[in-house]
Amino acid sequence: MTTAFVDLDVRPVLRDGGEPFEAIMNAVGGLKPGEGLRLLATFKPTPLLHVLGARGFTHTAKEIGGGDWEVLFSPALDAPPAGTTASPESANPAAADNGAWPEPSQHMDNRELEPPEPMERILAAVEAMAPGEVLSALLCREPIFLFPQLAKRGHRWRGAFEDDGKSYKVLVRIGAPTKGAL
Amino acid sequence: MSIEGFCVVAGVTLSRWTMSYFALALLALLSAEGLMATGFGFPAAALEAPETLVLVHVVAIGWLSLLLCGALFQFVPVLIARQLYSDRLPLPTLVCLVAGLLALVCGFLQLAGRVSPDVPCFPAAALLLSLGFALTVWNLGRTLWAARPLSLPAYFVVVGLCALVATVILGVIFALTLGGTTTNATLVDLTAAGLPIHAVAGLGGWLTFTAIGVSYRLLAMFMLAPELEGRTTRGALAFGTVALAVAILGGTVAICHAIGPENRVGIVLTVAGVLGLAALALYGHDIRHLYRERRRRKIELNSRMAGIAVANLAAAAVGLAILAATGLLERYVGAVVLFVGFGWLTGLGLAKLYKIVAFLTWLECYGPVLGKTPTPRVQDLVVEPSADKWFFLYFAAVWAATLALLVEFPPAFRVAAAVMLIATAGIVAQIVRTRLLANVASERRLPAGAQMPRLLVSSPKST
Repeated sequence: MTTAFVDLDVRPVLRDGGEPFEAIMNAVGGLKPGEGLRLLATFKPTPLLHVLGARGFTHTAKEIGGGDWEVLFSPALDAPPAGTTASPESANPAAADNGAWPEPSQHMDNRELEPPEPMERILAAVEAMAPGEVLSALLCREPIFLFPQLAKRGHRWRGAFEDDGKSYKVLVRIGAPTKGAL
Repeated sequence: MSIEGFCVVAGVTLSRWTMSYFALALLALLSAEGLMATGFGFPAAALEAPETLVLVHVVAIGWLSLLLCGALFQFVPVLIARQLYSDRLPLPTLVCLVAGLLALVCGFLQLAGRVSPDVPCFPAAALLLSLGFALTVWNLGRTLWAARPLSLPAYFVVVGLCALVATVILGVIFALTLGGTTTNATLVDLTAAGLPIHAVAGLGGWLTFTAIGVSYRLLAMFMLAPELEGRTTRGALAFGTVALAVAILGGTVAICHAIGPENRVGIVLTVAGVLGLAALALYGHDIRHLYRERRRRKIELNSRMAGIAVANLAAAAVGLAILAATGLLERYVGAVVLFVGFGWLTGLGLAKLYKIVAFLTWLECYGPVLGKTPTPRVQDLVVEPSADKWFFLYFAAVWAATLALLVEFPPAFRVAAAVMLIATAGIVAQIVRTRLLANVASERRLPAGAQMPRLLVSSPKST
């Protein structure tokens, strides 16, 4: 598949000490179905790779000299980028991140477990689930070591503290079988 | 299903050089204990003797600061759920700090007449250490700045970093004055009278205050206790911050504006001490609450030993207050500093290191294959009963060494220091076994897809 790429050069912003995250997410939000993003930055934007990985983008990053990096974010075959309004959920297993996810097919309460047991249980559960399914898990804190593992396996996630401010709910949507590690 | 308010968080990966920081830190600790056992520095030499200064800085920079920097590069991102600003800076930072410490030690040995005075050791130390700590503050500061608004434990780290800046500035002034680079009258006054401020900023601000902040989060995490964000925690932060500001800023002003030969540093430090005791009392209250409210009844070695370390801090605070009230502080200040450095900071550091190395090693080795194949648990990487006895021996030796200083009997101090060295070596051996997965049964050690971690460097790719 050939992907059309929209260019975004955040090097001037970074050199001025600015924070390009918002511009990047706006550019991603403006992508048409099937389009990718060519990002130019002054370093390898590792956190961004995870963020966009969670939104269904695969990436290839290469150093282009002078310490600068070019990263190509391509929409994964089964996952149109954020903002896409296309396709009913069932036909396309990954309706966009901004769209609705299916009801979780599995629920887990990991609040009484000591770290890293919650992570172990979640990763064991997602291995047994089918692409497109959603797992919902309650935890007593943000599972920050879990997210890179999910990104690496091609899954997407969303998380937030519940209204009580104590329980953290994470939703994991199973991605297509991994096409190679990040 | 409602997904309003849900956000995507990138998560935290392994910090590549944290194990190198830990290894060099432990080497510095063993060296310092070895020196103490052979009778180098206090109490055989005076408290202000160059030999004692060598010892103090090998412990404060070589052991405690490297430990704290390595831990912060990994755990500040955990505190605030953000990636570290730069993964490249920790290596040059480490090189600057270690080279700077070696230069500083050489500078002190020049003062003692043990090293030729021709080499400009103090200016080199001032340059390298200020560069190393500036890189630390820059990297952690940018990381924290991007994560505003901060959680309460992160504010302790911010205040700790401010105290680090003050400690380094005073240290650089001392080094340039002692090295003969400057003869400015104010800087000479600061060097002559500023040592207590430098020590309070370093031991009380940078090391203790930062450790307190990190301990709030780590203890809550490992004991399944509720996170504390309440009035007592805010109070500890407020009292501690004001105490440090009074000691550092007030103390400096008192020296620079001294009338005649007398200055008011003593009064300023007393005020700061009272405020600091209030902060420690609130921290003690919080920690007792954490231990009582924990949902995990049976707690691991790291939390048990951290409890002993916190109790030592409480004892040190009470002792400090009694000695100050009875006018005996000057005579026994060496014992207090030893007890704070080894009973509290080193005890807490070793206890947390024991858990952190196990956890990071487990995550690096087994994270990629979790859920796909049976893997050992984190606790399979350690053998707590073996480590337990070394920890108890260590604490007993620290208490004995402190007692020896209080009764002013140096031979007993050297024996106790030798026992501290042996116990620390025992703990280090346990930590190395953990890192090498030596405690995991060989048939379970490396399931398909798992890679053996390297001793001194982590591979961030595996997470």
